[in-house]
Amino acid sequence: MKQTIYLMAIREALDEELQRDDKVFILGEDVQQGTFGTTTGLVDKFGPERIMDTPLAETAVAGAAIGAAQAGFRPVADMMFGDFMYIAGDEIMLKAAKWRFLHGGKVNVPVVIMAAVGGGMKLGAEHSMIPEAMIMHTPGLKLAVPSTPYDAKGLLKTAIRDDNPVVFFYHKGLLGLPGEIPEDEYLIPFGQADVKREGSDVTVVATSAMVQQSLAVAEQIKDKVSVEIVDPRTLEPFDLDTIIESVKKTGRVVIVDEDTKRCGITAEIGMQIMENGFDYLDAPIQRVAAANMPIAAGFMEEHVLPQPKNIAGAIEAVMA
Amino acid sequence: MKLKNDDLIFMYKTMVRTRKLDEITIKGLQEGKVLAFYHSSQGSEALAVGAASFLRPDDYLWAHHRGHGIGYILAKGGSGRDFLAEHYGKATGSCLGVSGFHFADPENGALGAAGTIGSVFPMSLGWGLAAKKHGRQQVTIACFGDGGSNRGTLHEAFNLSSVWKLPIVWICDNNGMAQYTPITDAYAKDDIADLATGYDIPAVVVDGMDIIAVHEAVQAAVEKARAGEGPSMIEAKTKRFREHSIGSPDVVHNQPRTDEEIAEMKKLDPIITFKAKLLEQGVLTKADVEKINNDAEAEMAEMDQFCVDSQIPDPSILNTLVYAE
Ligand SMILES: Cc1ncc(C[n+]2csc(CCOP(=O)(O)OP(=O)(O)O)c2C)c(N)n1
Repeated sequence: MKQTIYLMAIREALDEELQRDDKVFILGEDVQQGTFGTTTGLVDKFGPERIMDTPLAETAVAGAAIGAAQAGFRPVADMMFGDFMYIAGDEIMLKAAKWRFLHGGKVNVPVVIMAAVGGGMKLGAEHSMIPEAMIMHTPGLKLAVPSTPYDAKGLLKTAIRDDNPVVFFYHKGLLGLPGEIPEDEYLIPFGQADVKREGSDVTVVATSAMVQQSLAVAEQIKDKVSVEIVDPRTLEPFDLDTIIESVKKTGRVVIVDEDTKRCGITAEIGMQIMENGFDYLDAPIQRVAAANMPIAAGFMEEHVLPQPKNIAGAIEAVMA
Repeated sequence: MKLKNDDLIFMYKTMVRTRKLDEITIKGLQEGKVLAFYHSSQGSEALAVGAASFLRPDDYLWAHHRGHGIGYILAKGGSGRDFLAEHYGKATGSCLGVSGFHFADPENGALGAAGTIGSVFPMSLGWGLAAKKHGRQQVTIACFGDGGSNRGTLHEAFNLSSVWKLPIVWICDNNGMAQYTPITDAYAKDDIADLATGYDIPAVVVDGMDIIAVHEAVQAAVEKARAGEGPSMIEAKTKRFREHSIGSPDVVHNQPRTDEEIAEMKKLDPIITFKAKLLEQGVLTKADVEKINNDAEAEMAEMDQFCVDSQIPDPSILNTLVYAE
């Protein structure tokens, strides 16, 4: 194993896949320099034909990637901020997601759309979103939401090799997160949740940065409550089995997510547990998510996005 | 409109205030008072102030994101204090401290600013349409960057503004750079103005470092728009003195811009050249210049103190902002 950080793990995954398959290329605004460091330096190795700086034109970036994917390439389109995916909503949600189905399965769309997501930087309503629900809601798209360097690298390599459109969200608050990854190549299959912490009293289901927040909370309250943390890692495909196994053991569930609460993924996951694991529940499911409002900037951000105290509060409530 | 000496002095003062406000915002960022980020407008003051001076308060304004609009806001009569307080995250800010860097000042025609570059093209169209329907000879001043001009929204908006003969003055701040990507690798022609003429919108290219050239071009377009003669487009060639966002690398693709390159640009500093001209013409004396400078510095120090002393918003306001009652 070797030490790395989240953003370097992402860069390594891109580097290895660019090396392995000459059909892989990256396009996006300012990817040669790299706004968040995930693509920095790759142009020196692979050249500007494969690490393409594009104009400021999100519809063109996503559309060109999707079209090239149909025509035999494996492009990775970087949308910079996840919020900017809304600009390419037609391309991502109506074209990448539907065109295989709509054309009788004749043409695959093996594209990766990646973006930096999430709050914590006080950047406000149009630079802080993690639009998981929008993507998970859209049949045809896969969605990876890594919470560690290990998961980021393994999931991104799988995403690039997948024959379907995959949205890959890297969290801005995790970019510098340290962690270990194997020296040798590895892949992480989609649809396999990971138990990030074992426990017996309560199951916390969390994604992306909320996994790290939940881990910190679990550590703080470990003398009072034994918390098990399950990280789905991909929201589509979604590994309900691992969650249900955990619920059988604990009987109590808290779902933590950074996207908006209303119609958010906490609602979907909660309902799937109700439909498939109601008999194992000893208490109503609790959920922690962003308030039903745009994400405020500055000092107000913490009043919109989930905080450790909200997680601790929900655990306390489900244990009561 | 022939510019009188007082007008020239107003424009000079406003450029100086814009620069000082820019500097104090940068300082605030470095001291942790400014909470999000800041995209310095140093080098584009002549365009902002030249374009937005002597408009009517009820003229609509899309202020370009560089400097988060400060030059345009100050020239149009808006408040620098509201701007700074918003950046400090305070309740006294232009958006009550919930936006971080956006700006809205409906009394001065500023109905909002986007974090998504180029997304205000279609809304500007709506402001132009409203202006036409109001029938009060209002105009819409819509200002975007060369990077923003790469968005498809430009084409939809240019086209409709021309078809509907809307009173819109499209203004492009072409500083040659988007974030790290240069316009030469993002656009195949030399002048973005050509996009306007393609839609039958009259367009001119001006030296954006020359406030008088900018102002005359914009005023001519404004007069036409007020007279019901439809949209115009002005492309101003400007310079970006600072890195894209304060603290970000100052690169073209991934190659650093050189000190010599920046020094060369700064020879064209629009504030210094305009000052020299006004001194030479006897519009200003050295003492006037010093007073303008000192006044601006005092104003900024006062603003900073006001913003530091202002309260953090009460979170109970958040729910009241989502929907109108
Ligand atoms: C839709 C969208 N894409 C990308 C960005 C990130 N971004 C912010 S400013 C900028 C460059 C804008 O360039 P330009 O329009 O030329 O204005 P300048 O900053 O040069 O004044 C970029 C890429 C954004 N905010 N919104």
